[in-house]
Amino acid sequence: MRPDRRLRSGLIVGPALALILAACTSGGSGATVQPSVAPSVAAPSVAAASAAATPVASEIPAADVTGNLTVLDWPGYDQEMFWADFKSTYPKATAAFEIGQSDADIYGKMKAGDQADVFHPYTGWLQFYVDEGLAAEIDTSRLKNWDKVPDEFKKIGQIDGKQYFVPWDWGFTSVLYRTDKVTTPIDTWGALLDPAYKGHISMWDDGPGAVTVSSYVHGYDETAITPEQLSAIKAEWIAQRDLNRTYWASETDLTAAMKSGEVWLAYAWQGAYATLLGEGVPVAYATPKEGRNSWVGLYGIRKDSPNYDLALRFLDAKLGAVTGNNLVTNYYYGTANGDVMKAITDETLKEAFSVDDPSILQKTNFTPNLTAQQRDDWTAMWTEVKAN
Amino acid sequence: MRRRRLGGRVAFLALYLPPVVWLLLFLVVPLLLMAAFSFRPDLRGGLLDAFAPTLKQFAAVFATESYLRLLGLSAAMAFGVACIAVVLAYPIAYYLVRHAGRRAGLYLLLLLVPFWTSYLLRVMAWKLMLGEEGVVNSLLMYLGWISAPLDALLYNRGTVVVTLVYVWIPFAVLPILAALSRVRPELLDAAADLGASPASQFRRVTLPLSLPGIAAAFFLVFIPTIGEYVTPSLVGGSGGSMYGNIIQDFFTKAVNWPLGSALSMIMLVATIVLVAIALRVVGVGRFFRT
Repeated sequence: MRPDRRLRSGLIVGPALALILAACTSGGSGATVQPSVAPSVAAPSVAAASAAATPVASEIPAADVTGNLTVLDWPGYDQEMFWADFKSTYPKATAAFEIGQSDADIYGKMKAGDQADVFHPYTGWLQFYVDEGLAAEIDTSRLKNWDKVPDEFKKIGQIDGKQYFVPWDWGFTSVLYRTDKVTTPIDTWGALLDPAYKGHISMWDDGPGAVTVSSYVHGYDETAITPEQLSAIKAEWIAQRDLNRTYWASETDLTAAMKSGEVWLAYAWQGAYATLLGEGVPVAYATPKEGRNSWVGLYGIRKDSPNYDLALRFLDAKLGAVTGNNLVTNYYYGTANGDVMKAITDETLKEAFSVDDPSILQKTNFTPNLTAQQRDDWTAMWTEVKAN
Repeated sequence: MRRRRLGGRVAFLALYLPPVVWLLLFLVVPLLLMAAFSFRPDLRGGLLDAFAPTLKQFAAVFATESYLRLLGLSAAMAFGVACIAVVLAYPIAYYLVRHAGRRAGLYLLLLLVPFWTSYLLRVMAWKLMLGEEGVVNSLLMYLGWISAPLDALLYNRGTVVVTLVYVWIPFAVLPILAALSRVRPELLDAAADLGASPASQFRRVTLPLSLPGIAAAFFLVFIPTIGEYVTPSLVGGSGGSMYGNIIQDFFTKAVNWPLGSALSMIMLVATIVLVAIALRVVGVGRFFRT
């Protein structure tokens, strides 16, 4: 397929690269350094069962399952409360965490040969894991909690007709605004581009996010943005830059800026909404006429992971009720366990998830999967916005 | 004789080999890798697989006017930061050498106190200073000089320059301090004997002799500042990005390592060229005369 003229530098610097990459993947983020693959540590019976690809759930008592699992996750999700069911169900097994700061960071690490057994990408960032052969297919018949997951979420984890990812956390994206500063209720994504709010807007520092907003506003098909549309989007956000106070990189940046009054309205996940509500800041979360956006976080298992069975158990436990409740009450994000969501009683949370609005999910647009080309083009568009 | 030479060689190797190996492994090899990556068409396929080299990434950079303009702007900002930092650092160094006397050590220690705090914290502190509810705005409002908070204090290129100057001043002091302390007092006595006023003693003796220190301080600030990305991302706001932020975005947000590598290589070459020109203008010979 490729032309014959090839650069052989890969061969020359290969061993050195391996060394560098090893250093990068284990040291970079202050993550836990672990023996990368340790089949000898995993219970032999588990490994054998894995090879035979037979259900093991009934064969080994949960309390006797051993093994070390490495999870590449986002900061915060390494806290024990977010894998409480795994901890209590499999007391003899351990989970070590590596930290990734963003979807790009996690993908970059996996691409560079990170040996984590389980990793945590979000909607949009799924297709290329499969294309590049980094994700193993999920045997959902071995997930006891699988029937609690709504079909909409299951579908998002399917690539090319196969289940490669297990949905876990989800939430909305919409326009969040201070009701004391913005007096007319906001009902459109276009508010983020409105000169009336000059100097008080904060957009997420993200190219695909900007493409999403423009697509909603102009009615573009987000999955098929043309080059003309992309250059119009670029021009739009270059113009927006003068209205924008600062691009936010993390949710804590955003909540701090909104709490201080520096930012009046922003592109925001509903975790920020719940946080500010909880702190008594007067904020509202728009239901734009173009629809809210929704994102879903999913877990994948690395292809060739020697701990496939333990990883499945981990993901099944992730869907457990205790873990799900911890996610909902501590981070104000939804869990893919539908039973947990239906049981929410807290008023702030009901408000944040719009639980009482039965049509809210119909008014929501799930983030579509990016292709590698879209990822490159859209992020390049965004750097040009910032470079201008 | 022979044994002594052998011992000398062993000592030489023992002293020089570790840093050389270290630099080779963690500086030269990564740079070469990055150079190789800049010729990749994309990031698909194995990272160690052979690929057909292409100039596509460089073409993409040169086709994007805004990237090159930002590189120029970043170089200009770095130049400004380096000049201001050197001008502000010089009197500090001068005072420490000439007037601080026995307290010089203590003052030097005080100068280095900020380094006991994380870089990130020091930059964040500027947000507290310059924010809408920050120290400066609160003070001005309290004094009644302004009625609404100034929002121009934070989140622009000016803030980035101010913050970077603050960060670099202590670094700029050190080479100037070293150069000034090598200026022998007898030279000034001689100049005075020959009728030079204090001002012309400074202009014609002290300043020329401290030029190597000034140049070293300038480059110490200028070179890392061109590629700076942390400070602009914290206090630069929407319009305060520098070239380093673009590189960072391609690595960490876009997973487009080939394009990020091409941007890095261009910056590396541009920096080397700029420094070479500057050295030629100042005169290279000066730096080796002490």
